[in-house]
Amino acid sequence: MRPPTRPRRIRCATPGVGGALALLATLGPAAPLLAATLGITVQTPDGRALSGAVVTARPLDTPARRSAPVHAVMDQVNRAFAPDLLVIPVGSTVAFPNSDSVSHQIYSFSAAKRFQLPLYHGKPYPPVLFDQTGVITLGCNIHDDMLAYLLITDAPYFGRTDARGAWSADVPRGRYQVTVWHPRLRESQTDLERELAVGEADRADLTLHLLKSLQPAPITDRPHSWDY
Amino acid sequence: MPNLPSMQRLLRTLCLGTAMLTVLALATTGRAADWQVSLDTRLLTSDAARSFMDGGLGATRYDRNDSGIQLGRARFALTASLGELWSAHLDASAWDDKDRSPLGVTEAYLQFRPYPRAGYRLRLKAGAFYPPISLENRAAGWESPYTLSYSAINTWLAVEVRTLGLEGQLDWLGTRTGHDFDLGLTAGAFGWNEGAGVVLASDGFMLHDRQTPVFGRVGPPGTGVLPFQQFDGRAGGYAGVEGRYLDRVVLRVLRYDNRADPTSMDSVSGAIAWNTRFNSAGLRVESGTGWTAILQWLDGRTSIAPPGLQLVWPFRAQFALLSKRFGRQTLSARYDRFEVETNVPDGDGSQRGHAFTAAWLFDADAHWRVALEWLRVRSYSYYRTESGDSPRATETQLQLGVRYAFGPR
Repeated sequence: MRPPTRPRRIRCATPGVGGALALLATLGPAAPLLAATLGITVQTPDGRALSGAVVTARPLDTPARRSAPVHAVMDQVNRAFAPDLLVIPVGSTVAFPNSDSVSHQIYSFSAAKRFQLPLYHGKPYPPVLFDQTGVITLGCNIHDDMLAYLLITDAPYFGRTDARGAWSADVPRGRYQVTVWHPRLRESQTDLERELAVGEADRADLTLHLLKSLQPAPITDRPHSWDY
Repeated sequence: MPNLPSMQRLLRTLCLGTAMLTVLALATTGRAADWQVSLDTRLLTSDAARSFMDGGLGATRYDRNDSGIQLGRARFALTASLGELWSAHLDASAWDDKDRSPLGVTEAYLQFRPYPRAGYRLRLKAGAFYPPISLENRAAGWESPYTLSYSAINTWLAVEVRTLGLEGQLDWLGTRTGHDFDLGLTAGAFGWNEGAGVVLASDGFMLHDRQTPVFGRVGPPGTGVLPFQQFDGRAGGYAGVEGRYLDRVVLRVLRYDNRADPTSMDSVSGAIAWNTRFNSAGLRVESGTGWTAILQWLDGRTSIAPPGLQLVWPFRAQFALLSKRFGRQTLSARYDRFEVETNVPDGDGSQRGHAFTAAWLFDADAHWRVALEWLRVRSYSYYRTESGDSPRATETQLQLGVRYAFGPR
């Protein structure tokens, strides 16, 4: 097992009051003065960027402040979920509008939320409340190849990595527990947790190298009318 | 034939029942049903011997007298929800082959589909439908998305095998609970199957895309045979397992036995029950780069036992298919091998052969599909000697297919 990557400190490029003002000007008035940037990069075993991975960060020193719940949308377009993954704060609601002309029967038997939702065209269904943390696997009882995930989190900082495999957030200085998750990861969840200190510098960066290759991505160009 | 009127009654009841349930569902729920209409025409040239559609021994659907424009299939399919967990499915087709078969129903069934619970999914089907054997015929209407003509194995299923009964399937959805695998168990019980096997023993394996409608006839009026008959009072059954690795690999194994009484005979029509049983296995592997490989294997026997005789025709067939998708185009190549043996003293009914198929399919848009297929079958058939021909034949068929489909999507 490879040891956790040590936090890498980057020298402050703009020291002094001028630099702080410049930072303030860049981030806008809402940015806390004590904030620094937490940057996480996820790489596959062959060193390539992993985009779309969910990163969550929880402060270890201060009591965790939860993100405010949101109203999110998980649509059904061309017999597929859109998007394929949503990461939302606990207590959020998700609408399933069904933009297809055909019916869907959305279900989850995941522990964090079990539900069944018949979605007929033009018949809106009230949004579903997700009040427990965890990963929820969504399927359709009519179209077996439909698959999407909801990740319900109580972490105040979260997001998904971009095309370069990177995610960042401006956070108060302190120690953080960072976790990474992706539907196709084979690592156990404990292998994907790291502790990271955001110290004096303006940035704290961590690159997480996966040790196990990902599951192959689902085949997306197969016509949906075919038997799955 | 005293059975024919009762069969026709059953067919009518089945069609009428499905249609009424569909209309009822539409009326009570106001929901749009999922329907599709398609028209598939062919331009072809063939040097094959007289087709089985015309009472011949040709191994393909079209023969040398069919060169020109032909109707491949006119199809209407309907899926309607009956409440939340039940649905009705109807697949009806018309053809213009020399067998002069009218509009027919290839599949009509009710499905019960409760939501998966705790990682398990149950599905029940009742009516007329294909048993889960083919890994090739996965497109709408039980068509192959790789070639126009099906493999020898799946052509035989299309001609003679249909479940007219019940099927249950229980799946463990491992891939939805953090595993790499899904597992499934299937079991079916069926009737109206006493004729299954007669085409293998009389024509052997063929390669085409002509599905026999439920309670339909194979071959021309008068001399054609009826695969879907019931007169021995015994139900058949099958049981199978399926394993999947993610959405990449499917492995299916199935044991089928129609449990027909080979001594049973319909006293009026003279039809005899064909006891047919087989094992089948199939493997389909797909890559994320558009490659598909399919292997299917079939091994079984069909037998009849008229008074004082015990006639057996063991049969086996295999095929390997390799296909590559390039955007909206699909290139496929398939190699088939097939053999029917017999214990009849002079080899009556024995057949063996192999076939090469190459096809290019182009899905121009959601409605239009263009297909070009070259098929060559080399075979030995004992029956050809009865008409003074050489038992060996090489038959080549080139088809250009244009299909237009529409329906809500």
